[in-house]
Amino acid sequence: MEKNDEIKDVDRGWLNGAAKTITFIVTKDCQLACKYCYLVGKNENERMTLETAKKAVDYILDNRSFFKEESVIWEFIGGEPFLEIELIENICDYIKIEMFRRNHPWFNSYRFNFSTNGINYHTSKVQNFIKKNWYHLSLGITIDGTKRKHDLNRIWKTKEMEMGFQPKPEDERGSYDDVVRNIPLWLSQFPKAATKVTISSADIPYIKESVLHLYSLGIHEVNINVVYEKVWKEGDDVVFENQLVQLADEIIDNGYYQDFACSFFSETIGKPMDIHSDNRNWCGAGRMLSIDAHGNFYPCTRFAQYSLRSKKARTIGNIGNGIDLNKVRPFIVLDRILQSPQECIDCEVASGCGWCQGENYDAADTPTAYQRATAICKMHKARVRANNYYWNKLYRKLEHEGVAREKAVKHVKSESSNTINC
Amino acid sequence: MLQYLIIQLDDTSTSYCHYYNGKRNRNLISIDTLKSGIMFGMKENLMIQYILPDYELPDEYYEVLESIDHSKIASSGSPYASVADVVVLNGWNKDYAFDIEGVYVLRVDKRTLFEKTSEILKVLKECARLNIVITDVEKFSDADFETYKSVLDSFSKELEALYVAGKTPQLNLLTDRMMLDGMNNCNAGSDSITLAPDGRFYVCPAFYLAPDDEDYGLGKSKVSVGSLASGLDIKNPQLYRLSHAPLCRNCDAYQCKRCVWLNRKTTYEVNTPSHEQCVVAHLERNASRALLMDIRKHGTFLPEKEDIKEISYLDPFDVRKEW
Repeated sequence: MEKNDEIKDVDRGWLNGAAKTITFIVTKDCQLACKYCYLVGKNENERMTLETAKKAVDYILDNRSFFKEESVIWEFIGGEPFLEIELIENICDYIKIEMFRRNHPWFNSYRFNFSTNGINYHTSKVQNFIKKNWYHLSLGITIDGTKRKHDLNRIWKTKEMEMGFQPKPEDERGSYDDVVRNIPLWLSQFPKAATKVTISSADIPYIKESVLHLYSLGIHEVNINVVYEKVWKEGDDVVFENQLVQLADEIIDNGYYQDFACSFFSETIGKPMDIHSDNRNWCGAGRMLSIDAHGNFYPCTRFAQYSLRSKKARTIGNIGNGIDLNKVRPFIVLDRILQSPQECIDCEVASGCGWCQGENYDAADTPTAYQRATAICKMHKARVRANNYYWNKLYRKLEHEGVAREKAVKHVKSESSNTINC
Repeated sequence: MLQYLIIQLDDTSTSYCHYYNGKRNRNLISIDTLKSGIMFGMKENLMIQYILPDYELPDEYYEVLESIDHSKIASSGSPYASVADVVVLNGWNKDYAFDIEGVYVLRVDKRTLFEKTSEILKVLKECARLNIVITDVEKFSDADFETYKSVLDSFSKELEALYVAGKTPQLNLLTDRMMLDGMNNCNAGSDSITLAPDGRFYVCPAFYLAPDDEDYGLGKSKVSVGSLASGLDIKNPQLYRLSHAPLCRNCDAYQCKRCVWLNRKTTYEVNTPSHEQCVVAHLERNASRALLMDIRKHGTFLPEKEDIKEISYLDPFDVRKEW
């Protein structure tokens, strides 16, 4: 590997996240039945129609006063969005035509964003769509790491599952082989693309091998996070910390930090947070807009019914009546302190510990978005310890190599780390 | 800190606030529940407020009611109206005989308030205090805001004339803000709690009286927060406190009701008011400011109070980034 003084950091998103994100839930169906998936209400029936999508687009483009951002990310999710590639292509065509026809500022500053399981990536319909819209595309394929890690959770859905029966472990069929075959094509089209890895209790022992495997596939950025749900077992934090320390050793000893990034390691996490200057909400719910097949608006997809275990869907309007601004107000004024228990406010390693507003709502004692779920507390603290180890070791190495600390840091964030991997 | 225990004696006991009581079938609190409620209030050092029904209570009830210091709320049609500390008028009745020493709640919808302003403002010289509760504040339109502003101007002129004449009637919409130095809201769930005939606690009577199937979006409106048998159990109690109301804690419309029931209904969060509630409260606040200045033109008035400062907004949400 060529000598490089720099440390690669994770990408902070298009325009540093300043664009408006508008999400179409085009389908609630998926070929897979990932065990950690928070979408508990996936089904084959709720498919968005083009007419509903057009009404949503019209409403959004007609109401510039509600959507003042200079740029927009049109996002398409599912289930698996590419199950509806024809619909998506029609929606995207309509968006482009209408932005142009209305001389809307977004015509000059928009992206189409996808996060796919990658299974249909190679199909001609998907490929034609990519060629047609490549210049405006951000596209991530989710691959969880090594075959055994990926196949532990990301398994094919079966007819029996749809009827509520879980398959025996020996009957489960992993999706790794169906995804990994498309990785070279994806990376040839999006060389800087990142993948998203989700960690639940069962797959903690495979973190190190998985991140390194993804690097070996040519994926230079691995955005990885533990799930916010209350799934953690006693001792998980210890195994997690050990995995991250081992991963740190591999990354540093082999110099991967120069060209590869893993979001677990960040210089800004693990610090106390000021109750005044560090009081921003972690999550962007309410500043985004999600639309489902019925034309309902949500502050984020996580507030749609198929994402919720124990609470009712929380809409903020619909395509017929528009956005109910009163329903948006609580999200806009929500800050870190307001929703955090005292333990989090006083926490000495608070920075970088995040939450999902939808999970907060789902897990709360009352139907409120103002009660922070803290199931990841021990996992965050374990991450902080491993992260401290990583940076101490890395900078010691760089000092030995004569690389100035300032020069080494390519992208140190100016404020607290808000890398959100929903 | 909890200070008040409101006891809804019967399902039909009048509303005295924004919520509507559509119950028509009597359901009197049992005598044992009443006694237990009073005992709870005594042990928790709470001031008790009874909401009386529109019919005569059995004698043994009245003895129990009088066994503890309390205040009474009754509708104008109740046999207890003459002994009530607060009398509630449900709707406007121009022929009602007010008591010059009396304290009244007038529950009216916006249309009645707007159409009957000239009649209603005459009440100010016929009672000690009038609390006007607009029962459909969540339905105010931009045009209604303009009309309400002129209604407040009319009330303000009447009050100015009365104060100059040496009288000091109180109107919650205008005089409270002149007297206050800090937030003085309803504070249901924080300062007060309601005991219902079913022996359960509710944040306020609205959460008990809601129809069984009422649901504004996130679940049933009727939600209890414990019972006499199991104790008070308010989940997320901090959300009822001013410190956890992100808009209100920075606000100086001190007279605002900050109605948690309306908040829940309109924004889904008990600590976040709607645009309509904020604008109405700020129209009142600004009218109070003008009234204070107008009265002071005639001489010294509330010299210990500072002027209410001029502000450029009607909804604190619009200027939240300035905080």
